[in-house]
Amino acid sequence: MRNRLSWSTASKIAWREARASSAKFLFVIVAVAIGVGSLTGVRGFSRAFYGMLLREARTLMAADLSLRVFAIPNAQQTATMDQLIRRGVRRTWITETLSMVASTTVPNPVLVSIKAVDAHVYPFYGEVKLDPPGSLARVLTADSVAVSEDLLLRLKVAVGDSVRLGGQPFRIIGVVTSEPDRMSGSLNVGPRVMITREGLDRTGLMSIGSRASERYLFRLTPGSPGIEEVRQTLQKSFPEALIADFRQTHPIITQGLNRATTFLSLVSLIALIVGALGVATAMQAHLQQKMDSIAIMKCLGARTREIIQIYVLQTIGLGLAGGLMGIAFGSVVEAAFPPLIARYFHLRPEAHWDPSTAIQGLAVGILTTLLFTLPPLLGIQRIRPGVIFRREMAEVRPGWKQRLRDARASLVAGGVILCGIGVIAGWLQIGTLRESVRTGVAFVVALVISLLVLAAIAWLLLRSVRTFVRRCPRRFPAPIRHGVANLYRPGNHAQAALVALGIGVMFTLTIFLVQRGMMAEMFKSAPPGMPNVFLLDITAKERDPIVDLIRAQRGIEGAPDVVGTVAAKVVSIDGKPIDSLNLKAWGRRFQRARAVAQAAERPAHTVIVQGAWWNSRAAQPEPQLSITEEAAQILHAHPGSHMEWEAAGRTIRARVAAIHRIDSIHMYGRIEFIFSAGTLDGLPIIYYGGVRVAPRAVAQLQRATYEKFPTVTVVNVADVLEIVQQVVDQIALVVRFISMFAILAGIVILASSVAGTRFRRIREVVILKTLGATRRRVAGIFSVEFMVLGAVAGLMGSLLATAFSALLLKRWLDADFRVDPLPNLLCIVLTALVANAAGWMASYRILGQKPLEVLRAE
Amino acid sequence: MIQVSGLTKTIATPTHRVDILKGIDLEIPRGQFAAIMGPSGSGKSTLLGLLAGLDSPTSGHIVLDGEDITGLEEDELALLRGRKIGFVFQSYHLIPTLTAEENVLLPLELSGHAADGVERARELLQSVGLLDRRDHYPVQLSGGEQQRVALARAFVVRPPILLADEPTGNLDTANGQVVLELLITLNRREGTTLVLVTHDQQVSEQADRRITLRDGRVVLDA
Ligand SMILES: Nc1ncnc2c1ncn2[C@@H]1O[C@H](COP(=O)(O)OP(=O)(O)OP(=O)(O)O)[C@@H](O)[C@H]1O
Ligand SMILES: [Mg+2]
Repeated sequence: MRNRLSWSTASKIAWREARASSAKFLFVIVAVAIGVGSLTGVRGFSRAFYGMLLREARTLMAADLSLRVFAIPNAQQTATMDQLIRRGVRRTWITETLSMVASTTVPNPVLVSIKAVDAHVYPFYGEVKLDPPGSLARVLTADSVAVSEDLLLRLKVAVGDSVRLGGQPFRIIGVVTSEPDRMSGSLNVGPRVMITREGLDRTGLMSIGSRASERYLFRLTPGSPGIEEVRQTLQKSFPEALIADFRQTHPIITQGLNRATTFLSLVSLIALIVGALGVATAMQAHLQQKMDSIAIMKCLGARTREIIQIYVLQTIGLGLAGGLMGIAFGSVVEAAFPPLIARYFHLRPEAHWDPSTAIQGLAVGILTTLLFTLPPLLGIQRIRPGVIFRREMAEVRPGWKQRLRDARASLVAGGVILCGIGVIAGWLQIGTLRESVRTGVAFVVALVISLLVLAAIAWLLLRSVRTFVRRCPRRFPAPIRHGVANLYRPGNHAQAALVALGIGVMFTLTIFLVQRGMMAEMFKSAPPGMPNVFLLDITAKERDPIVDLIRAQRGIEGAPDVVGTVAAKVVSIDGKPIDSLNLKAWGRRFQRARAVAQAAERPAHTVIVQGAWWNSRAAQPEPQLSITEEAAQILHAHPGSHMEWEAAGRTIRARVAAIHRIDSIHMYGRIEFIFSAGTLDGLPIIYYGGVRVAPRAVAQLQRATYEKFPTVTVVNVADVLEIVQQVVDQIALVVRFISMFAILAGIVILASSVAGTRFRRIREVVILKTLGATRRRVAGIFSVEFMVLGAVAGLMGSLLATAFSALLLKRWLDADFRVDPLPNLLCIVLTALVANAAGWMASYRILGQKPLEVLRAE
Repeated sequence: MIQVSGLTKTIATPTHRVDILKGIDLEIPRGQFAAIMGPSGSGKSTLLGLLAGLDSPTSGHIVLDGEDITGLEEDELALLRGRKIGFVFQSYHLIPTLTAEENVLLPLELSGHAADGVERARELLQSVGLLDRRDHYPVQLSGGEQQRVALARAFVVRPPILLADEPTGNLDTANGQVVLELLITLNRREGTTLVLVTHDQQVSEQADRRITLRDGRVVLDA
């Protein structure tokens, strides 16, 4: 028994061989680097942009987390919060309440919503903008206030004047033009008055029993507990409180962020596949070239394990070198791009270098390298050396059972490595461990299935192209016949190349299709004409004149929308009196009168979650009712329930026909109960309206409305909507940018994998030249081959991409999918062209070389 | 007619300068069978490669049928080869992805004369005794069989010049004899100029002329 080959000898042999054909090795290394580089690049960009989006979203809450309580925290709750603060979490306390403000210029005081803040800390994110400009912390003192523009209007005062609040004088130091967390506040009904805590204490408004809403804002710091932990700690301690984190500031933003999260995870996973594909094709081509050396070594007495030892070392070296180069490349791109992006796209990705991205990249490089070298190397174990020389064609093909048995070691190794890649996929997932595990498993299963499907389709398509070219009555010109025939030669591995290309095309196109579907959906849910000014408490008499007045204003960007409501109170649900329900916190609102509406047709933007909207044309035997999901849950109502209402002394009995869902930003979003048409006829109706106004025209609209209809409240959410729109636009931009980047990376990888077949072609090119073929002729033959390969791969890829993106959009992104042949066609043509160009570019140098040099080298 | 004058070939590697051919003057008339002999490393393959325009000389000229090929472009050389030169390599160099018949057909297709090609290709395969193996790929053929296919491929366009680099070097005596007879028959019957590199004394004895190289120079020409 001979001694085992020492690792150092093995690595010496491996290294020697690498040195000898450095050009080929460099090519493999570069191919691996492209794969790993695009993975780290896409990954890094996604993270940086995601960070940017979250930062942007945080400004809408001015914090990472907000806790709204309905009672002053008890000792134990205070202790919980203090505990968090000791662990690095920052906190500020905000009180909001309603009160009257008076001035000497008008007789009646005005109802305002007061917000008491610690100006030195608040806001944690974003900025309170003042006019005249100044920092809130500097100008807001215990005896001054900052107010919204409409208060000046109503009190007929100006900045610098004094107003009285709770009997105390306060000087107005400026107009609040932008307040980051106005959306997440409560009670934003009347004009805003911003005050310091000392100022609020001075007013004495906060005596026991006054109605105030207390909020605590939290900011996490590096090293402090994470958002989930803080959230859970608070949830346990404050079971009745409303807790929201920065992802829940606005329904559109929540949805946008959720989609962005899903999308970016998806792109990362796809980058993983496509990057691994780059590595895989490079390794595959490399190993094929090594078969001769392997056979010779076997003949010289090397044992399989020694060969495996040598080549695994060699390929790991290659994977490592390529991986490191790729990481360097990815990092350079990541570092170099953000300034450029900031300049041209108004995006400011967070500059950040994350070692985990690098480690992931390296792990992918090496694992994929192993995946594509170990199984084939294990496979040679049973093969006699002589057969390896004729590797392209086993004379007698053993039955599949035998083959399966022979390939057991390879299959096991392949399985183990696939699991490794699954682990990386799980690791890429943003979220909890369970989600990660699920992602990893789904990823591997999806990958294996698509590989199998692609292999099957590739086989089928190749067969049919061949049959077509053979059976076609007209003889095709020689280059075409050659090119096509080339695909079917033993040793061409056209099927493998097709599968690789097909996978690349499929995922790259998927990114594009999903991106497009998602964008369409996002713009649908945040249409530019969404109302940004609401008018409350319009009486029936005022309704038409006010609509006319608004229409006549400047800067109106959409027709005003008016909805009539009736104040009605729930009496009982399915016979159970409302008071018998143990309503908590926010649920107590149902004990008071609510604004309800009636409608014939299902209002736009509502989604029915349960039951069905009634037929508006048929007469209903009894009044029908549709209620929001949240109300249904609190009131334990379901389709078929009967509710009894009371409005203006009248009793209404209605059957719950449907449960619906609607975002609060839409006109009907504030109404939780919609009755069938006619039910509320004759009851006193209060209207409210919404209109889209250019932000700079809002003040004028407020003034005009106040002059004619002083009792109508105008709620201006223009600034908030502006921010929402901005965030949505940014999400859209980020998604587009990342997809563009990923698609580009995909194209580069596809090109490099086609170019990787170059060394296989050298000998063929030279022989053709020796036999009298001009460069154009040779290029022509290969062009046909590449074109057919590209087109077939494009066809397969686009078919699967269509199916796959339909699934993704419907299942994970809540978006519609529409089949559009154009991108698919384009994709097929593009793949053919890219394959052709890449093949051409890679072979260009060989075409010009002197044949003899090459033949000597081979 | 092949005219070679003042032909040199020098190769500079980073460490060495190798003078492979140091000034060759030759004239091989049409229809002649010339054998090139000489020890290993004397530059025989290099010379043959230069004659076929597979590489360019450092200096000197090669004139084929009155046409100086030394200044020609790559593509012009390729077209010239397609028309005029059949080349047989020591190590066959069949295209592994084409069957025997397709390999033989290839030069015809490349020069656009494939129409009557199949018949000619089969005829040639028949004459090298491989008609029944025409659908086999090179890896399915033995070395001698591959060389015979390569020979058929070299003949298929009826080239006026045939260059063969040790075509029998890898073959046993019987197989070598078959290949050699094929070459000589063609040379006689079609008036092809045949330049053949060989180490084999017996082979060279059948030639019209023996040119011996040593260290890149012609040392004997008879
Ligand atoms: N590209 C090259 N780089 C370095 N040396 C070369 C190169 N090509 C040829 N040589 C050298 O030139 C000499 C002649 O080579 P050539 O192949 O022509 O010899 P040969 O006469 O055909 O030998 P053999 O009978 O062994 O085939 C050899 O010594 C070889 O090492
Ligand atoms: Mg030689």
